[in-house]
Amino acid sequence: MISFTLSPQQKQMKELVHWFAKHEVRPIALEADRLGRVPDEWLEKVNKMGIQLNASSFSGGRAPSVSDKKKEKKEREGNRIAVIAAEELAWGCPAVALSLPGPGLGGPPVQSSGTPEQKQRFLSIFTKDEPRWGAYALTEPEAGSDASGIRTTARKVDGGYVLNGQKIFITNGARASWVVVFATIDPSLGRAGHRAFVVEKGTPGFTATRTVQKMGLRANETAELLFEDCFVPDDNLLGGEELYSANANRPSGFQVAMKTFDSTRPIVAAMAVGIARAAYEYTLEVVKREYPRQGRLYYEAAELLAEAEQEIEAARLLTWEAAWKADIGEPNAMEAAICKAVAGKMALHVCAMCLELLGPAGLDGHLVEKLYRDVKVFDIFEGTQQIQRLVTARRLYAPYGVHV
Amino acid sequence: MISFQPTEEEQAFFQVARSLAVEKIRPAARECEKRRTVSADLIARVNELGLSALELPELWGGLELPLLSQAIIWQGLSYGDLGVIQGLPGAGEASSLFRLSSEHRAWHRYREIAKGGQWPTVAWVDEAEQKEPLKQPIRVRRRGSGYVVDGVSSPVRLASKADWVVIAARDEEETVLLALDERVWEIEEGDIRLGLLASGIARLRFAEVYAGPEQLVARGPEADAWLNRVRARNQVIEAAKEVGLMEAALDYTIEYTAGRKAFGQEIAKFQGVSFTIAEMAFACRGAKCLVWQAASAVDRGDEQADGFAWRALACAHRSLRYVTDQAVQMLGGHGYVQEYPVEKWMRDAEAQVMLYGRERDWLIRRGEQLLSERKERVAP
Repeated sequence: MISFTLSPQQKQMKELVHWFAKHEVRPIALEADRLGRVPDEWLEKVNKMGIQLNASSFSGGRAPSVSDKKKEKKEREGNRIAVIAAEELAWGCPAVALSLPGPGLGGPPVQSSGTPEQKQRFLSIFTKDEPRWGAYALTEPEAGSDASGIRTTARKVDGGYVLNGQKIFITNGARASWVVVFATIDPSLGRAGHRAFVVEKGTPGFTATRTVQKMGLRANETAELLFEDCFVPDDNLLGGEELYSANANRPSGFQVAMKTFDSTRPIVAAMAVGIARAAYEYTLEVVKREYPRQGRLYYEAAELLAEAEQEIEAARLLTWEAAWKADIGEPNAMEAAICKAVAGKMALHVCAMCLELLGPAGLDGHLVEKLYRDVKVFDIFEGTQQIQRLVTARRLYAPYGVHV
Repeated sequence: MISFQPTEEEQAFFQVARSLAVEKIRPAARECEKRRTVSADLIARVNELGLSALELPELWGGLELPLLSQAIIWQGLSYGDLGVIQGLPGAGEASSLFRLSSEHRAWHRYREIAKGGQWPTVAWVDEAEQKEPLKQPIRVRRRGSGYVVDGVSSPVRLASKADWVVIAARDEEETVLLALDERVWEIEEGDIRLGLLASGIARLRFAEVYAGPEQLVARGPEADAWLNRVRARNQVIEAAKEVGLMEAALDYTIEYTAGRKAFGQEIAKFQGVSFTIAEMAFACRGAKCLVWQAASAVDRGDEQADGFAWRALACAHRSLRYVTDQAVQMLGGHGYVQEYPVEKWMRDAEAQVMLYGRERDWLIRRGEQLLSERKERVAP
């Protein structure tokens, strides 16, 4: 039955994460943006509270932020819970949310493709007292949206592989305890040559060369990673040799990378929705408080706010639809692309409308201008606006046998 | 629990509606438009399937379906052709009022006539609000225990076919809801060329028409309360029809661009085309979600249901204009000529949007509702 109301568990998660976002995240958002980092003591505090960007959440098992071991599920609703929680967290502050300890985007590939031993080894570290991070390294200077064109190489040697190459734009990449790194065993094989490795911090030949300065999400670390004759043991090949030999002619490594997106794009879309909602709610209150109750300005504001609310709601529902499909085990690649495309664009538009309503006063150390800077990347990372259109169009044309 | 899964019954209804749309409605659309009426066999088929009684009260032999189920069915039907759908005779927008006031004495005669299985056609004239700047409101004055109606309505659908007219208007003090029959009005067909030409759009002229007390359905707060509920239901239904039309335009355009070749390849392979197709799909799906959500809010009796309906209709209006315009654009010159359906769909879309309220008005109204809400203040 079609329904747009939250289950008790979804509602409970929403309230819990909202409480955290409001009382713990939002108060440090502007200061963290100014400093360009999230204070260590804050990270330690929330880690002790048991709050993290949880790996299993991204593969549909758990909520992304708050561990809840006593959960009993009748119907799988992890993806829905994850998008609900992601929206609330990003409502607090997207940069702080992405900096929360946990496996982050590295979680899904480990969860979906790792051997039981690898899952245990790499995911168990997040139960420790001190904050730990995981990361996901796909993008390269010459291969961003075209993930099939990666050039980082993995040369087979006795007992493992030797990685050489460079990765850029890696969220939490310098502080991560391990990074899922995509490399190719033979560029001439195309996608079939792709392999995914877990590279641990401190591995010789693996360095974080620098962190980049960005328009927004300034409190969140974005790093460049360099691999110079970096030896990675066979045990760190995600899924082990069997995964690849069983699918000798199939692009498994590439699929690991792409499959990740089906579960993470709705999360990213949900975060964009949360950011837009934060800007909208703030601006709504300002208009209520400061604007004259009648006249041109008032009606213009009413129209813009209603437009914002409508766009936010549509993007949220599309996100829920993608998450719902994942939960019921149906392919959701198109829905994931659609919600990401719609939400990214929508959120920038809504933040811009809010800035317009606030006027020049919105420039001065203001939450909304920060959200505007933060939100732009949601239209870029996890696949740009253009990539999402490509993914969508490809699926729409597939029944006609036309590959666009 | 969040779910986008229609019930089995809804899926079955949808299949029936879609099949009818594709097999019967669409092939007949041009001819219906040319004749400015829906063909009798099509009407008979729709009635036979019970599709004209989706909203009508059970007490009257109607199906009285949840609004969400209706939204899905109307979406399926309008996939065929909106011009035909809007021209289907019967109770039309008055169905919602009948549903809410099914035992009212004003309908006794209507029900008597309807017992033969044919629902007399009703034109719905809602002039209780002065929103459109070009509208000359119908005047209603009290006389004795009844009312006198005077003036010319805006163009409304089913007007030229109407056996009954339900009027919502304001007298000097309050809203009045009247049910008129026996053709006490004149039809002004006018020179309507834009779209929905099979739907009987016309103006209705009332020259000092007297409506006795038995024709008064409600007045004052009672009339306002009914009207608000009727409008929300109708807005959702109209928005659902719009989704059906935009889905038709999208699917047709996908198929066309997948087959049409230029510069040595299918034009779908040009990103100027494929990206537009993706955008059209985004618009369709977003609008559909908001319509389903509004329908479900009305069914639940959510106190914000009217606001949800406004935003769903505003979104559907915008998406419909965008998608049908782009459909014409993607077909190029073929889009503009009448051998292909998309030019008609674009015209129908624009006429539909004109009939069912300006997007901007719905947004402003929703905005005012949002601004009057009390909510916790968010710290900067």
